[in-house]
Amino acid sequence: MEMLLMGLCMALFGTAVAAAAFGAATRTESRDSAVQPKLPLAKAVTPTRFFSDNAARPAAILSRQVPIDDLLLQIENHVRMEQAAAESFLAFPTQAQLHSKTNSPFVN
Amino acid sequence: MTHELLNGISSTEAEQVLKLGTRIVIPAGTSLFRLGDPADRLFLVDRGRIKLTLPMSVRGREEDIFVEERAPGQAVGWSALIPPYRFTLTATAALYDAEVIALPREELLKYFAGNPAAGQKIALNLAVVVGHRLHLFQTMWLREVQRTVEAHSA
Repeated sequence: MEMLLMGLCMALFGTAVAAAAFGAATRTESRDSAVQPKLPLAKAVTPTRFFSDNAARPAAILSRQVPIDDLLLQIENHVRMEQAAAESFLAFPTQAQLHSKTNSPFVN
Repeated sequence: MTHELLNGISSTEAEQVLKLGTRIVIPAGTSLFRLGDPADRLFLVDRGRIKLTLPMSVRGREEDIFVEERAPGQAVGWSALIPPYRFTLTATAALYDAEVIALPREELLKYFAGNPAAGQKIALNLAVVVGHRLHLFQTMWLREVQRTVEAHSA
């Protein structure tokens, strides 16, 4: 009987120690998580679009990829289009003509 | 060939003015004058096209950027008549050989002094050319400023 009571006490003691250890462990975890610096949210990774990727990029970024001769030609075309737009304004001066859009890649 | 600077003067006067000049052929890709050069001659384009450019830094390299093109009948290099008599652009024969009539400033001014009526008409024609360039680039400048404002306020 004494042996049984002793075993029961030991079992209860062991359970209490295990519960205390579990509680301590879980408390430590929650404190640690509070101290941890907040990490920036990872940006959602969008799937790469095979042909359409360049279409979304601004002209300034695209212009770094084109050969210099092509770029100079683009600049010349831009100036010609701007002159044509300015000529149209001078022929019929209205606010709409003044700020009319051209197809130049530098302004779109 | 009708030259914009000679509009309104008689054919005799136009011939007298043209006789003051020298015909110059500019091979394709060759400069007629460069930015900063002394401007002592005014040019009337007779054949081909003259491309006017300004230097601009593109990807760290200095490149001649297209500004304007002058066609037969048009004048180029009117800095020759306006102080400080320095060209403010570079002029080059574009894709093909070009031919211009070079009119020395001193000869022109002498002619104007002796023929004030013709001189006044030519000066007014020059004012039209200069005024058109001013209006054109004023408009282009304003369009550019508008875009800059939109880009910064977006």
